[in-house]
Amino acid sequence: MTDPRERGDDEAREGPRQRFVLDDRGFDEVPPKYRRFYRRWQGAEDSLAPNEVICPVCKVVIRSTRELRPGDRVYCMPCMSRLVVVRADDGRLEARVAY
Amino acid sequence: MNDPGADIHALEHHEFLERVHSFEFWFQAVEGYLAGTTYGHRPETAESPMSEAERDRLVGVLCTYCVGETAALEGASGLIPIAPDRLAKIFLATQVADEGRHLEVLQHRMRRLGVTDVDGEVTRRASRSLVAFRVRLQGLVEARDWEAALLAQNVILESLEFAVFHHHAQRADAVTAEILGGIIKDERRHMGFGENVLGRRLVDAPHTRRRLQPIKRELDHLMLDTIEHTAGAIGVPLADRARLGRAYLESAARLGFLG
Repeated sequence: MTDPRERGDDEAREGPRQRFVLDDRGFDEVPPKYRRFYRRWQGAEDSLAPNEVICPVCKVVIRSTRELRPGDRVYCMPCMSRLVVVRADDGRLEARVAY
Repeated sequence: MNDPGADIHALEHHEFLERVHSFEFWFQAVEGYLAGTTYGHRPETAESPMSEAERDRLVGVLCTYCVGETAALEGASGLIPIAPDRLAKIFLATQVADEGRHLEVLQHRMRRLGVTDVDGEVTRRASRSLVAFRVRLQGLVEARDWEAALLAQNVILESLEFAVFHHHAQRADAVTAEILGGIIKDERRHMGFGENVLGRRLVDAPHTRRRLQPIKRELDHLMLDTIEHTAGAIGVPLADRARLGRAYLESAARLGFLG
């Protein structure tokens, strides 16, 4: 799988990506240096930022330092899944497991 | 960023797998949520008032949980010799430690609830379907059927436990909720390992799915019976029981198994 980070086509088409500084949200299931990449879903009142998707396997929120776009690869460290970001029928971004 | 390896999403897949299947990862992960706990909960957490009927109901549920954890402990240790590679063997070794801990904290909880003969209580009260599942899983391990045993244990059993424990923890007394909360965090790794390792295997050998389908159906019945046995005792409304069952079937569906 080609790392989408190496591609420039989406940047040209959709403009530069937003960057995000990740803060530690207290997710304690991974080693400290990786904690900022994950947070717990807070329920019905919660919403996803442009740099976040939910892991379909374990329901943790995965966070990136950049705005996510279809084709991006992210990892869910708590459940050890490799995921690819896709655009769902309703227009939202979601993650699919890439075995 | 000083450490280029610190952006987890930038890792190559093989580097990611090396990290998450290591004892080093496991140590740092469990330290995050188990440090300072005693038998799975903070020592200062106070017992909630509980009627005799509530206590007895909880003990009955814990009996079934103990069978599930014993099945997983025996299964994970039995899978190590037949695991196909080093990373899987090392991960399973960490899972054995987790499952042993789960069994210990659940039995300790039962003793704290006044049970004197824990093993006898488990034998008398645990779900018969889960006992049958344990026997079936052990048979798959003894037959050295890696794919079927992985499906049974790390996909079906772990996903069921994840869903049921999550539901129970939201309604349980404070001590039990903390114990279950810690177990759920371990289960995330176990079920993720099962789905992803089996998923990669099915990509390489898609015909395996057809062989596993009847085994999955057989085990589904035992799991759904176990949910029925447990759901009432942990306060799952009738309307939500199907949702609980679906939660564990989602993993199987992603792997391409039919209902």
